This record gives sequence, structure tokens and C-alpha cells, in this order.
Amino acid sequence: MGPTNTANAEQRHSVAELEELAFELRSKLLYLCGTYEGAVHIGGDLSVADILIALYHYGMAVDPTNIVNPKRDRFILSKGHAAVCMYIAMAMRGFFEFDDIVNTYGQLDSAFGMHPCKVQLPGVEASTGSLGHGLPIGVGMAKSARQRNESHRVFVLMGDGETGEGSVWEGAMAARSSELGNVVAIIDRNRQLMTSHAEERVALEPYPDKWAAFGWNVVMVDGHDMSSLVNALDNLPPASSDRPTVLICETIKGKGVDFMERNLAWHAGSLGQEDLAKAMASLESTRASKGAN
Amino acid sequence: MPVTFTFGEWFSARTIIGQTLADLGDEYPNLWTVTPDIGMTLVEFREKFPDRFIDVGLAEQAAVGVAAGLAYEGNIPVVSGMLPFLSMRTVEQIRSDVCYPNLPVKIIGTHGGLVGNGGSTHYAVEDLSLMCSLTNMTVTSIGDPLMVGEILRQSMKMTGPIYIRLGVGKSDQAIYEPGTHDITIGKGIVAREGSDVTLFAHGTTVAQALEAADALEKDGHSVRVVDMFTLKPIDADLIEKCAKETGGRFVVVEDHLAYGGLASRIADVVVDRGIHLTAFERLGIPQVFAGFGSDEELRDKHGYGLSATVAATQRVIAAKG
Ligand SMILES: Cc1ncc(C[n+]2csc(CCOP(=O)(O)OP(=O)(O)O)c2C)c(N)n1
Repeated sequence: MGPTNTANAEQRHSVAELEELAFELRSKLLYLCGTYEGAVHIGGDLSVADILIALYHYGMAVDPTNIVNPKRDRFILSKGHAAVCMYIAMAMRGFFEFDDIVNTYGQLDSAFGMHPCKVQLPGVEASTGSLGHGLPIGVGMAKSARQRNESHRVFVLMGDGETGEGSVWEGAMAARSSELGNVVAIIDRNRQLMTSHAEERVALEPYPDKWAAFGWNVVMVDGHDMSSLVNALDNLPPASSDRPTVLICETIKGKGVDFMERNLAWHAGSLGQEDLAKAMASLESTRASKGAN
Repeated sequence: MPVTFTFGEWFSARTIIGQTLADLGDEYPNLWTVTPDIGMTLVEFREKFPDRFIDVGLAEQAAVGVAAGLAYEGNIPVVSGMLPFLSMRTVEQIRSDVCYPNLPVKIIGTHGGLVGNGGSTHYAVEDLSLMCSLTNMTVTSIGDPLMVGEILRQSMKMTGPIYIRLGVGKSDQAIYEPGTHDITIGKGIVAREGSDVTLFAHGTTVAQALEAADALEKDGHSVRVVDMFTLKPIDADLIEKCAKETGGRFVVVEDHLAYGGLASRIADVVVDRGIHLTAFERLGIPQVFAGFGSDEELRDKHGYGLSATVAATQRVIAAKG
């Protein structure tokens, strides 16, 4: 079926094309992580790279030529520490220039920094960085859409650790209370927080049941499999339906770089030139092995 | 673990916090640590005392509530985290669950001020104002990395709550040779003697104030630097003394909103006690969301960096009496 919205009708990439875009996004992330002297939240960037490509280049109606197009889908990066991954995915979609991101990232007065700011960077839908804020904001946007008879959706991307915040569940309850089928929460279920693996100290399980118990439509997705992501986005219930949907995307923190995967040391960090080459080689090899399948 | 002192040497306050808590855990069998997924400094404590360590995950409000519950039962909980979240997300838990029953909960964290380049969600710039407004709360802001261990030690004896603020806390210059200064919660530290003007600072701006004083000394100015690391209760007697001894000339520089932090605390004392001042300037963060940039760049941009501190101090020295 696909998105009914027309704001991005021209973007109907094939799964193979989306996979190429995701590879490009990861390469660009690693390049930034290797050249910027400060820390980049590379682990949680790599875990949402496929999701952000699937959203910005396939599933969401976006309009880089008119960022206030009322028909656009709204996107809230509630896990704001993955900002640079969103910036680059948006740049690849025509919102910004990648060179501007690389050349100014984290510098004084730059629009591009560790957490996204709507005022500094128009095109970003909400200023985030403090975890647990995105879902209630999304509920407000979705309520407004309902009241105005607008048919777009509101997508909110959260980390699984982030959903420890009580405000997430307050938002979840509000979305269900208001019967907001136009809300789509996406969980980056990489099973890592900042300092521990999930279940080691924080019990997130039974995770899908938690969302189901709040009355949400729960969909399990392989967050690194483009077909799975595309399928989930194609089959979202209509925005006019009465149950919010959560896409629980199974992911790997640091996905694509062997020494970063599932490694708590790579929540945030910076690669030197040498490690950049190693990381790129690792990324290339995962692509090569995938191509061989 | 004792550290050898070299003035100006860089130490990690985080490491010192970790070591101090691990040591105190032996001395105080009712000492607990609680963290909302920011337990990097607590590794040693966690390994030594796994049954007195709680990581609640991304749940700052629960961290403070849990600490209150522990304290109700006679324990001494230290909540460690990032201050933008630990001061604001939890402010009602701190007020009603900790301050109201006056429990000995210690809240310690990093990212006080425009530090770390995380953007405006990640800078605690209103925290001292919020914390100073809470009944029963003691409020501190620490610049010297070695001193934080001493403050934690003293806080163990306190019956009520305390807030302990640090900058990034990864690498700061040592200022006070252990044993040379009276470091007591509630008392300001005269970090440098001087008679022309008093430069008040706390936390990360103390080192900067000392640098400014050195620069001004070359022009023949005698600048006193006071590390007012306890904002509440404020050392009003020291403020009065400094007014008398440095010609009623005050400059305040802080990595916090210019209104609501130390400058406001000092101004309150000045007005309440009817202290006569010749000149007063406050340097701090204006009412803006500061954006990205290095710590130094942001300080300079927002008018409370080293050169602005030197210039303001010169103006105050030159002011007509
Ligand atoms: C309210 C709040 N508390 C703490 C932090 C610091 N922090 C940033 S990322 C992170 C871990 C987040 O884990 P998760 O949501 O699972 O994200 P991911 O593993 O994908 O990076 C923490 C503790 C924050 N940004 N906001």
C-alpha cells in the first residue's frame, strides 16, 4: 500500500537501493567519527542507520524543498544523541549539504552538533537530547493533526534504554487514550544502555508485552533488514485508525563495525585515522559478505 | 588513595569521586550509590559493594525517589549522574521526597555550566538557582578536583541533603595543596589574597579567576580571589569582610545564569546586611540557549571568559569611590 501522502511520491526506492543508501550513511558517519576530534555517539548512530534511511528515503512523506509543508510526516528523534545520523540521512535526502555537516560539526555557532535543535537547524522537527521527551511531544503533534483533519503521521524514534523514563509511558498512555493511530513509535531495540546491557541491571523484558499492555499495536521488525523495515512501513495501519503503533526494531549497537558491535566502550567515542581505516574495512567486509549471499 | 600535589596539574574529579566513594563504603556500611545509567565513576564502588549499588537505568526521577527510600531507612545514598537531568527532571522528587523530610541524600554530578559541547539540553545552567531555592538543601559547586573527595567526606556527617556540582570533571587543574586551606562546607575559600578588588567564583571559573588575578598583578593590581564553593548557606561574613578589605569592589564570575546563581546570592547578602559597595559586576551566562562550541569558546562568546573577567575587574578597580 505504502504511504498515502504525496509529499515524497518520487521516493520509491527499491530495497537494494535503500541498502546502498544505508551503506553510504554508515560510511559518512564513520568518516565524521574519524575526523572530528570530539566524541560521536557512533554506537547508537550505527544502530539506527537503516531505520533512518527507511524513514527518510522510503516510508516518510518529507519535503526538503518546503520544510513546513503541512502534509509532511513529522519525525521526532527522541534519542537525540543520534543527531548526526539524522543530519546525514537528511542531507542525503536533500535537506542539507553533507560538507556543511563535516566542516562545521560541533563548532561554535554551527547548526550541527551533538543534539538537534529546531531553532538552529530548521528542518529538524523538535529539539531533543534529554531522553524521554519525544513521545509526549509527538502525541501533541498527532492530536493537532486529528483536530485539523490532517492525514500525516508522527514518527518518534526512541532508544530502548530511553523507554526507562516514566514520561515515555505517560505519552504511551496519552496516545492510546486519544486513540491516535497516526502515532508511530519506533524503538531502537539494541539491548544496550550507556553503561550496561539490557537485563544486566535494568529489566526491560517482557518488552513487547509492555507496549501491548498499554493498548498499542506492536510490530516486531528486524531493524537491519531493509525488507523487514519496508514491509513494516508499507503495512502501517491507516493514520485514521484508533491504535498507535510501535515498531520494535531489533538492532545491534555499533552495527557494521566488528569492534564496535555490542561493545559498551563505543556508546560514544572518536576514531583516529588508523581506526577509521579499520572501521571502514570492517564495514566494507560486511557489505561484501552480504552481497555474496 | 593519597595523591601527590602539584599546583596546576590536571586530575580527573570523576576518578577521585570513584575512589573516595569506594573508600567511604568501608567506613560507612550504610553508604549506597544510585545512578540513572551514568555509573562510570562508580565502577570501583559497584565491584566492592554490589549489594549497595543501584543502577535504575534511564529513570532519574526513580533514582532520587529510591535514594529517598534508602535514606528513610537510615542509609546514606549518593546519587550520581549528569546534572542537567539530575537537577531538572527530578526537581520535584528532590524537593518533596528529599528536602521536605530533610534526608541525607547527596546528589553529585557533572555538566554544570556550558561545558561538554552537548548543546542546550546538556548544559546545567539553571541548576544552582533551582537548588538554592529548596529548603534544607546545601548547594556546592567544586572546581578543584582534589577537593571533591574532601567535600564528599564532610557530607557523610550531614543530616540533610547536599547538591555537589562539577564541570565535565574529566580533567581539571589542582588548585589547593591538600592541608593548606580550610575547606569546610559553608565557608568560602580565600584562594588568593588581594586588597584592590575581590573576584568571586565557584566551580570551573575559580581557575579562570586565578589566571585573571595573575594577569592583573602584572599591571600592579592586587586581586583577591574567593572560591565561594558553597552557595547555600552562603558565607555572608566573608562577603562582608571582603567588602571592607577590598574597597567594596566585587566581581563575580560563574558558569551559570548570571541572575539566580552566586552573583544573586552575594547581592542578597549585600542588600540584607546593608553592605556598602563601590562597584559590582557580574559575569555569567545571559538568558540564551547557548548552542554548540568548546567550553572556552562559549565562555568567550557569552561574555564570561578570561579576557572579559580581566576587563570587568579592571573596570571595577577603576570605578570612582
Ligand atoms: C534524561 C537523560 N538522561 C541521561 C542522558 C545521557 N544519556 C545519553 S544516551 C544514554 C543511553 C541511552 O540508551 P538508549 O536509549 O538505549 O540509546 P542507545 O543505546 O541507542 O544509544 C544516556 C544515559 C540523557 N541524554 N538524557
